[in-house]
Amino acid sequence: MAEWAVIIPLVVGSICMFPFLLLAAGGLLYAFAYPFMLIWAFFTSGKRLDDQIADTTSREISLRDSLGRDPLTTLDGGYRTDITECGVVWAGVVFGPSHWHLLIGFINNLIGGSIDILQKVVAAGRAEAMQRLRENAVSNGYDDVINVRIDTSDMAPQGAQSKVKAVEVFAYGTGVKYG
Amino acid sequence: MEQMVHGILVVNTETIPGMMITETLGVVRGSTVRAKNVGRDITQGLRNIMGGELVKYTELLEESRQEAIGRMVAEAMGRGATAIVNVRFATSAVTAGAAELFAYGTAVKTE
Repeated sequence: MAEWAVIIPLVVGSICMFPFLLLAAGGLLYAFAYPFMLIWAFFTSGKRLDDQIADTTSREISLRDSLGRDPLTTLDGGYRTDITECGVVWAGVVFGPSHWHLLIGFINNLIGGSIDILQKVVAAGRAEAMQRLRENAVSNGYDDVINVRIDTSDMAPQGAQSKVKAVEVFAYGTGVKYG
Repeated sequence: MEQMVHGILVVNTETIPGMMITETLGVVRGSTVRAKNVGRDITQGLRNIMGGELVKYTELLEESRQEAIGRMVAEAMGRGATAIVNVRFATSAVTAGAAELFAYGTAVKTE
């Protein structure tokens, strides 16, 4: 019976500690992989960003060509009287710079002036969110999206020990169908 | 992402085209705080080094937003509304990896 008195607390304790052990293992993995990933990011992240921008732009152009116009407006929709159906549509994208880009941004920050690389990353995320809003509206059968609002929020709050540096771009509006 | 959510029309414009608002029933709101599990946080943290979109976090926010809108609609149904107009969304990161999604709007009766 004495061995149960040892085994039961051990089992219960290890079950309770499991998430923390996983967290520690993850932290070790992160610390070990970080230098290699940073070197990999140095070689590839610029190209990945350019590919992402080119992909978004080509989808935007092909959708605009097929519709003949851009379906998004920030107007309230009072200019059309033949609206038959409406409903809210939205699209969100969590988008972050690579840590290599953050390093370039940090060096730029010391000198001051405009930080072009971070502006490029956020602009790419915003273009992607707007393109997904267009695609959502079209796939839900709407002709236009009126009263579009675009919202950007930080995924890494100040003071929190977060490893993730990213913003969430959220675009929403009211999809309308013309009769 | 439907036009009608449980029979309630949700728009973010001040008026509904083709309908008359007869009565306002006050502000309705729905919020939710959600997080992904530790494993996802680690893989997304590694992915973040490379830059670009964090797909799992995008999915997380999409699910949370559906839930927040569902709660807002449930409150509007409880007040006997037929539509919610002028819906606004707000996002805040409470702590690392946990996001609060908040949706609010005005519940109205229409005819």
